[in-house]
Amino acid sequence: MIEATGLTKVYGDKTAVDGVSFTVQAGRVTGFLGPNGAGKSTTMRMIMGLDRPTSGSVTVNGVPFAQHAAPLREVGSLLDAKAVHTGRTAYNHLLAMAATHSIPRKRVQEVIEMTGLAEVAKKKVKGFSLGMGQRLGIAAALLGDPQTIILDEPVNGLDPEGVVWVRNLVKYLASEGRTVFLSSHLMSEMAMTADHLIVIGRGRIIADAPIGEIITGKGQSRARVRTDQPEQLMRLLADDGVSVEVQDHELLQVTGLPPRDIARTALDNRIMVYELTPLQASLEEAYMELTKDEVEYHSLITTGAAAPTQTGGQQ
Amino acid sequence: MSTAALQSSRPQGTGPGPSFLRVLNSEFIKFRTLLSTLVLVGSTVLVMVGFAALNAWGIGQFSEASRNDPQAGAAFAAQGADLTAGIPTSGIAFAQLIIGSLAVLLMSSEFTTGMARSTFSAVPKRTPAFVAKLLVVTACAFVVTVASSLLAYAAASPILDHYGFDIDLGSDHSRRLLLVSGVYVAAVAAIGMSLGTLLRNSAGGIMSLVGLFFVVPIAFQLIPGEFFAEARKYLPDSLFERIVTAAPAEGALEVWQAWTWLGVWVAVPVAAAMIILKKRDV
Repeated sequence: MIEATGLTKVYGDKTAVDGVSFTVQAGRVTGFLGPNGAGKSTTMRMIMGLDRPTSGSVTVNGVPFAQHAAPLREVGSLLDAKAVHTGRTAYNHLLAMAATHSIPRKRVQEVIEMTGLAEVAKKKVKGFSLGMGQRLGIAAALLGDPQTIILDEPVNGLDPEGVVWVRNLVKYLASEGRTVFLSSHLMSEMAMTADHLIVIGRGRIIADAPIGEIITGKGQSRARVRTDQPEQLMRLLADDGVSVEVQDHELLQVTGLPPRDIARTALDNRIMVYELTPLQASLEEAYMELTKDEVEYHSLITTGAAAPTQTGGQQ
Repeated sequence: MSTAALQSSRPQGTGPGPSFLRVLNSEFIKFRTLLSTLVLVGSTVLVMVGFAALNAWGIGQFSEASRNDPQAGAAFAAQGADLTAGIPTSGIAFAQLIIGSLAVLLMSSEFTTGMARSTFSAVPKRTPAFVAKLLVVTACAFVVTVASSLLAYAAASPILDHYGFDIDLGSDHSRRLLLVSGVYVAAVAAIGMSLGTLLRNSAGGIMSLVGLFFVVPIAFQLIPGEFFAEARKYLPDSLFERIVTAAPAEGALEVWQAWTWLGVWVAVPVAAAMIILKKRDV
């Protein structure tokens, strides 16, 4: 279990992480989702004791990471695919890491095979692709067979096969009762992998809930209705907080009313409905909704649109 | 099955942790599995042997030339064994820079490659990793210096023999030269590793080291004035010269003073590096 309390990191006049509190439970995959620069990596480095919090604290299984008697056996982390001296071979890198905790060579060999590095293990990391680097990082994280696993953007640069492998690996690790904390800026990836989501934007937690709740919780219930009496049904459904939109001939989109109530109204008024589909917001939509005010780097289109106005003002 | 049940079925974080000996072993693995280490150690041996051979040949040539000049010959003979005793360690001015640079690199590369994140995740208290690396680096510096001096002796002896000289390796002066050279290069390595820790930058660390051991001594010699002449005595390379010389110049430091100052030169950057390493974000 990872517990952060009022965790804050200030770099100069920039607050990277702003009083963040959250708990990462064991036995499930917790996704840490946020746009680039939201403070995900900084938070993870603070968990690992690499960055000192400006204020607040974070513990792993009740103890600050640095206080654990055998840190590598407690927490495995992939913070950066290139946290390796590139002049060393993958095997020697893992061997040196293992030596600090008397982890046997057998285990080094095991994680090499587990991560599919057997063929390149004796090669220098210099020549590794980003995907190979990620695999080596994951191998290092698993070395101590830790109870807690922290992975920062683990699928970055992985090929599709590698992405599926990471997805299954983290789910398996969580099913063994381990704490798995995984960051990503890819919502689709989180939808496939995480059970629980912590959404961060501009250093603040915007949402902390099971993934299903995040998808359905935001926004109102929506349904697609097809009927041969659209005008009549529209009139009957119209109410406070309910909006009905004619999308096509005989096709309505109803927002703000559960499908059951729509069906009931139709039945009571003997209106035939030949399609009633509840619409679920995608994680993308939920995420956009959540982070729309918190995006650190707005896309170029926004700045491009703003620029001419300024020039115009000067003229 | 509940999460709690799953969790309790697995013991947490059991097994050995990063004791100092284990961290030392890890740092030694890291040291010997880099090609750059082997290249720089090899270069040091080559430089030491090469300089000794060249020096032996030069002395031989000079003695032959001075045979026709009785005055020069007498002066030559007066220096006797001391002249040849310095041959095995004659390449030390360059060896110290190579080993010093190696020491800078071993630490700065941790930061430039990102390896530091791995190192300090495994040893989050940081200080044991620093001390272990320091031990590996200084021990290597000492061993490489002494061993390459002995190799240099082996290479220079046949040349000297040809001119009718020899080196008495068992003499007090020879033995002191050998050991003090080893300790001195180890000290340079400790300073280099501290610079690498403080600057976290390979080029900057090596330039600072070269500045301290090459540029500053020459500059102090060239700048006129009492102050610089006096300050020159306290620079590390002068302290080394003072410790090994049999015939000190007038106004020179006592040997124990020279040792103390050399100790200060090591202790200050090492302490600063340890404090900063502990405090700064990786």
